[in-house]
Amino acid sequence: MNYRFRCDLLAIRFLRRSTALELTAVAFAALAMLSLAQAVLALPQASASSSTTTSAKAPAKKPALASRPASVESVPAPVKSYGSSSAPIKMEVFTDYQCPSCRNMFEETLRPLIQSDYISSGKVYLVHHDFPLPAHMYGYEASRWVNAAARVGQFQNVEAALYDNQNSWQADGNIAKYVAAAVPASDFKRIERLMVGCEFQGPAATKPASLRTGAQASHACALDGYIEQDRALGMKIPVQATPTYVITYKGNKLPAGSGFVSWTILKQFFDSLLSQ
Amino acid sequence: MNTLESALQLVIDHGYQVLLLGLIVVLCVRKPDTRRKIVRVLLILGGLIVGAVFLAAAYGKMKPLQGFGWSWASVRTSLFWFAIQVNSYEILPPAAVNAVAHFLPYFELFLGLWLISGIARRFSALLASLAICGFMVAITSAYLRHLKIDCGCGIGPPEEVGPAALLRDGLKFLLPALLVTIGAFWIRRQSGAGDSGAAETVPSASATQ
Repeated sequence: MNYRFRCDLLAIRFLRRSTALELTAVAFAALAMLSLAQAVLALPQASASSSTTTSAKAPAKKPALASRPASVESVPAPVKSYGSSSAPIKMEVFTDYQCPSCRNMFEETLRPLIQSDYISSGKVYLVHHDFPLPAHMYGYEASRWVNAAARVGQFQNVEAALYDNQNSWQADGNIAKYVAAAVPASDFKRIERLMVGCEFQGPAATKPASLRTGAQASHACALDGYIEQDRALGMKIPVQATPTYVITYKGNKLPAGSGFVSWTILKQFFDSLLSQ
Repeated sequence: MNTLESALQLVIDHGYQVLLLGLIVVLCVRKPDTRRKIVRVLLILGGLIVGAVFLAAAYGKMKPLQGFGWSWASVRTSLFWFAIQVNSYEILPPAAVNAVAHFLPYFELFLGLWLISGIARRFSALLASLAICGFMVAITSAYLRHLKIDCGCGIGPPEEVGPAALLRDGLKFLLPALLVTIGAFWIRRQSGAGDSGAAETVPSASATQ
């Protein structure tokens, strides 16, 4: 008993005498080795797992442009922009109409920008690009409606209507109801005609028509070509998530930004650019 | 990447490996005097490495955007661009975002130079460790809120916030900073309470103690 007690005392003394550095050094060396091993093992896993959660990465493997329907090859894309294309600042935004962050971005930042004199006075040219994510069931469908609306010159009204009512239509998928409410009846009829063959057919319809199989493939939607054009453009950046924005000032493209940005912060950046 | 950026990236990428190697050497050495000497040399190296990390961070935030030359106005524009990145973390209100975006790069520049100078290294290294911890907390917070944003880590290509970014920051930024902090405090204790912090910076002078 006495011997064991002495051993305990010796151990404590040893711990006290052995420098703190030795213990911390061993701990750090072990931690570093562990981190290195984790980094080596986890990095491929992290990229693999993020490709499932960050849905933007999934379509990268799909041959988007090659599979475009032939009917839209020669047709210019519908106008989905605000302001003059000769403005010194061009802001391109890649969004998904069903994405909550995109709605926040539109309501809190893009709407004030659209209503501000930055657009009307030709300082900023705002361009919308579709980037529907496969994780959102009605995202692709909403993009089709917006592209159809853009073909008849109703892009701005329909975009605003879809973001304003995102919570409602994403619950039941009834996008047509809000499009109809946002545009004159005659325009809605034209939009409906453009949407023939583009009706929602379940979760598979979140993919481009050309990527669907069997009976679904026969319902090729001509509007998908416009969406795929935008998506191919996004893949080049590459868009990792929505919303992603690319600002170009007098031809100089700035690094792509993603996530929410408040109007106050964006406005002061524009002012700073314009004062150069 | 220009030469300066490449050099800073090289130090960031391999600096922690040098320190870890030094740590192994320290562990192998049994003579206390020799060990102290090696630790002092490593502290100087560590100060340079962690200092370079902070200088790279400041440079990445202040360097003019593409198409602009170096000028006061272009640096201000870069800081407004950095404010957009800070804003994307959705932690601070716009007023605080501005304050942080305009203060942080200068603070990083100051801290980087302070670390390299070696003056009162234990305090500069402690401050650096705390700053990196704060940054990692922000990344963790963004990741837990499922934000898919660029972490803004250093001068390399954009990297999304997540475990990979945390691991990288932990290994390349936090680990060297903590090693320097612990080493600096250890040397201070070994040298005795009466010594000044400046003594830590001169290995030849301290070897005579």
